[in-house]
Amino acid sequence: MSAQQATANMDAEILIIGSGAGGATTATVLAEAGMDVLMVEEGKWVEQGAVVPFSLDQMEQQYRAGGVTVALGMPSIAYTEGRCAGGGTEVNSGLYWRPPGELLERWQREFAIRDFDPHELLSIADEVETAINVRNVPGPHSAPSEILRSGAASLGWQHGEVPRWMTYPHGDDATKGERQSMTRTYLPRAMAAGARLAVGCRVDHLEVRNGTAAAAVTTLADGSPGRITFKHVFVCGGAIQSPALLQRSGIHGHIGRTLAVHPTVKLAARFADAVNVPDDVPVHQVKEFAPHLSFGGSASNPGLIALSLLDQWATFRRAVTDWERMSVYYAAITSEGRGRVTSVPHMKDPIVTYRLTHRDRELLRSGLARLTLLMLEAEAEEVFPSFKGAPSVRNRRDVATMQQAFRASKATVMTVHLCSTVPMGEVTETCGADSFGRVHGQRNIYVNDASLLPTAPGVNPQASVMAFAIRNARRFVATGGTRV
Amino acid sequence: MSQVPAFPLVGPFAERLLIDDLPRLLPERRREVATFVAHRVDTLPSFTRFGVLAIGSVFRLLLSVPGGWGVAKIIMRLPLPFVAEYPRLMRSLSFAYVWEHWPTTTPDGSETGGVAA
Repeated sequence: MSAQQATANMDAEILIIGSGAGGATTATVLAEAGMDVLMVEEGKWVEQGAVVPFSLDQMEQQYRAGGVTVALGMPSIAYTEGRCAGGGTEVNSGLYWRPPGELLERWQREFAIRDFDPHELLSIADEVETAINVRNVPGPHSAPSEILRSGAASLGWQHGEVPRWMTYPHGDDATKGERQSMTRTYLPRAMAAGARLAVGCRVDHLEVRNGTAAAAVTTLADGSPGRITFKHVFVCGGAIQSPALLQRSGIHGHIGRTLAVHPTVKLAARFADAVNVPDDVPVHQVKEFAPHLSFGGSASNPGLIALSLLDQWATFRRAVTDWERMSVYYAAITSEGRGRVTSVPHMKDPIVTYRLTHRDRELLRSGLARLTLLMLEAEAEEVFPSFKGAPSVRNRRDVATMQQAFRASKATVMTVHLCSTVPMGEVTETCGADSFGRVHGQRNIYVNDASLLPTAPGVNPQASVMAFAIRNARRFVATGGTRV
Repeated sequence: MSQVPAFPLVGPFAERLLIDDLPRLLPERRREVATFVAHRVDTLPSFTRFGVLAIGSVFRLLLSVPGGWGVAKIIMRLPLPFVAEYPRLMRSLSFAYVWEHWPTTTPDGSETGGVAA
């Protein structure tokens, strides 16, 4: 089962824009309820195994702009977005975290999310975990993962294996799992129920009149124009593209003003033995300082090792030939800063900006220092923090020197978790959509992706996105799409 | 809408950076890397691409005048917002490409004799 190429004129009862964690689950619920569903996806369908994970080739084929996207600021924050059938689920780490119960209660309270039962959401999470096969690795952990475990254990810090949505058909090798992304799970299920998926179709804007959208104006992969008519539309393009599309359609309100991310800073660590796993990431995370600060491991192919040394190349470059003994790790923070997504007339892509607060900068500093300490406890020979002017670190005394030298403005700050650009709830001063994702002031336009999460959850957000998307789609089915 | 190709503006600068950073990288590899960098610039989001090409034009102009590379190197050392990110972008793309495709490359750009990926 696969997708079809988009055509110039299409029609559906329900149009779903985007096929990632939000779009695929929405399509499944609506199609299984008997609705006529058309999904459109800007990227193409790429079979798993066709590209090497975390490679430049994968970035070319499955990421927006080849993976080179940035939120402007001081410092700018590099981010990535999936742009393929399955969206970000095809390219992310595959680590699964349920939304924390206390966070759900806070969202409900502060954003006045109506008819919201955190227990119901966690029950949906149960279903999701079965559908995408969330589980621990069957055998020994990879060396980079074991480094996180041993360093945290030595320091007495809270840590653990994060389950992944994977199957392991080739035995118990932790690095040979097959991700149960949307192209393996919800998209085939939606299509089996009658949903259509058209790839190579960018939606430029929606035709909206008096709060009702009737058609989507599109550009096909060959550059030719197209148009899709519908009764209801679900915008599921992710936290950058969804608000940008709404703005291009003349919908403003509280749209795109509260981008939330988990900024991360990185380091590379060199060990005595070969530890590098080029095409996978560690499954351990360290949560001693959560939710404000978390540590984990990144993809570490030789190109990414070189990138991690780039900021201080003059003194760090000697390490690049040791890449087989190196791995890259990150410290991620729950940021108090906020960003904006702003569409500019006549420009295809939005401008994205993000501003870190003073507290964020200090948290990045302490996070990098603590992560460095963890690496030393895990018997790293030398640690190479990723910021301009960084000294290499070989012992605890060096950690203090490094911490003093750190400036967030000199660091390579990145993120892969983007959310909260159309926050859901009934507080119209701060929420872009209602308690079930319908855009405030619009009759038949819904958002159902990471944009809806009221704040950054402090953990990998995919589980939260999927659970909310299913909840909201079920509500839509139950009410027949009428205003309630 | 057709767009100005990036290579004439950013390719020579990317190559010049590689001569400084990885002086023993083979010329044909240097050219291949610069072509890759320009291709990635061509696929940048529109606003970012506009900014990169605007800054790239200034550096390209500097490359074309005597002593311009020295001036460019001084500018690159200044903590200028966004301007400093241009050479960083060029280097990021270049280094990622070099070590992903030829992981046995040494810090001066030569090969240690291993097999390229």
